[in-house]
Amino acid sequence: MMAVPAIISSIIFFGSLILIFSEKLNRSIVAIAGAALMVTLGKILGFYSEEAALQAIDFNTLGLLLGMMILVAMLEPTGFFQYLAVLAARSSKGKPARLFILLGIITTILSMFLDNVTTVVLIAPVTILICEIMGISALPFLVSEALLSNTGGMATLVGDPPNVLIGSAAGFSFNDFLIYSMPIVLLSWAGALFLLQYLFKKELSKRPRSVKAIMRLNPAETLNEPLITRRILIVLGGAVLFFFLHHALHISPSLVALSAAAIALVWVQPDIQEVLKHIEWSVLIFFGALFVMVGGLEHAGVMEAIVGLLEQASNVPPVLFGVGLIWIVAALSAVVDNVPITIAMIPVIKGLGESGMDITPLWWALAFGAGFGGSGTIIGSTANIIVTTLSEKTRTPITSKLWNKRGLPVMLVTCAIASILYAIIYNWF
Amino acid sequence: MNVTSCMKRNVVSVNAMTTIREAAAILVKKHVGVLPVVDDDEKFIGVVGLRDMLTLELPDFVSFVADVDFVHDFGAVEETRPSAKTLNKTVKTLMKPAITVDEDCGLLRAYALMLQHNLHDMPVISKEGKLVGITSRVDIGVAILSTWPKADK
Repeated sequence: MMAVPAIISSIIFFGSLILIFSEKLNRSIVAIAGAALMVTLGKILGFYSEEAALQAIDFNTLGLLLGMMILVAMLEPTGFFQYLAVLAARSSKGKPARLFILLGIITTILSMFLDNVTTVVLIAPVTILICEIMGISALPFLVSEALLSNTGGMATLVGDPPNVLIGSAAGFSFNDFLIYSMPIVLLSWAGALFLLQYLFKKELSKRPRSVKAIMRLNPAETLNEPLITRRILIVLGGAVLFFFLHHALHISPSLVALSAAAIALVWVQPDIQEVLKHIEWSVLIFFGALFVMVGGLEHAGVMEAIVGLLEQASNVPPVLFGVGLIWIVAALSAVVDNVPITIAMIPVIKGLGESGMDITPLWWALAFGAGFGGSGTIIGSTANIIVTTLSEKTRTPITSKLWNKRGLPVMLVTCAIASILYAIIYNWF
Repeated sequence: MNVTSCMKRNVVSVNAMTTIREAAAILVKKHVGVLPVVDDDEKFIGVVGLRDMLTLELPDFVSFVADVDFVHDFGAVEETRPSAKTLNKTVKTLMKPAITVDEDCGLLRAYALMLQHNLHDMPVISKEGKLVGITSRVDIGVAILSTWPKADK
């Protein structure tokens, strides 16, 4: 028999998830309303308080995201992303298949260190430009950029929000991700790239109508302010270096990111209002509000109940338990945003740890499920939503039907590859 | 002085059901930038201009990439033409509700409206909603300058 607080808090949380899924209301608005409701009802029923809600917020995650967002907001107007894309276009010599791989690699590497959404927001417009002047369809490129940025982001601690959350909750360092996540992600990534190339082989084998125009693009002209670009890249490089060392130096990734942002701001002295305008406040608010909501669930005893249920399944072999978790989280992440799923799963996994289970492999299962699952549908990840919204403003929009034929197979194949590798190296986790 | 003193009368207008192809041909023939659109009762309902027509051909990237100065050659899009299907649509699909002025509107007000809404031509409408003429930035600007005091003798 579930207690009243557990029922009320579950209704608030799952009701919010359904509202987010229905896309009737903006997700940040839903999250704020849900968080306010959770704290208010929590106070009335006596299971939650303002202090407990504040404690539920993981400021390490928010700080890391904010720091990286400031750096990217400064890098954005310099034209650096256009520079890279134009470089790729010229190196491709107008061969679509080669351009496909080059843009895929650039997107992947950028998304390893920057937010996936930012990467896609900056690389997609110039991709449309290159495809249009070549006279080929931009669709295969846009779909692949979203999918590959999802995959690439999983390789590092800072690459995508679920990893930031998991790293912070599990205490994984930047290097832990390089050792345990990156090899699996890279192999799955290669699988995704080959699969995409195969799925889009008809479009990619078309001869472009104009190659000359591509060769007349001059990368140097795309950089608005070479000096500022160089400074921000130096700071970003320094930040990555400190990410490698943060565990050994006992400093948190959020301190690294925020310090890097501070250094860049002092060195470049941009128009701060302009920079702040480009910060994705809605994302930060969404995260904060979700933390508060999930904190309410925890205090109401819902997480304990779920942990209790899962413990009954603990007589299955641990490897199967982990692989099962990958697929369950992946399925959930495909239909809802992977951030709320990750935030909700964190206390569950912690609870399993307190009951004596070895949870290190489960953290990785959560990371793989949340990351690869996002490829399955348009709403599975924010990067997917961004390229789709962008394409809807062009003459050839991305449709759900197209995504089912291109994105869903990528999710299934990458999840399968990751599951096999996960099972093989399970004992090393 | 008001806008009626510096507008073109006898303006060619088209019906909302005119095809884009036909409207484009009129713009070409008359060498003008904007066509007023009227309904069956000759009531003014909007305008369709060169700018609206050209969005049909302008590549998508122009609206996404803030600064296209570095693109020296538009390559394949330079030879792209709107499809027959697009051209057979009516001007109604392209038409926008227009900023207009009444016959008794003053010159400075008319000029300020055009400036703020980034217009080069603006229809002048009668109290009954009928089109009476079209004025342009140059028409109004020159009319205003002509009222400036002459040099002291």
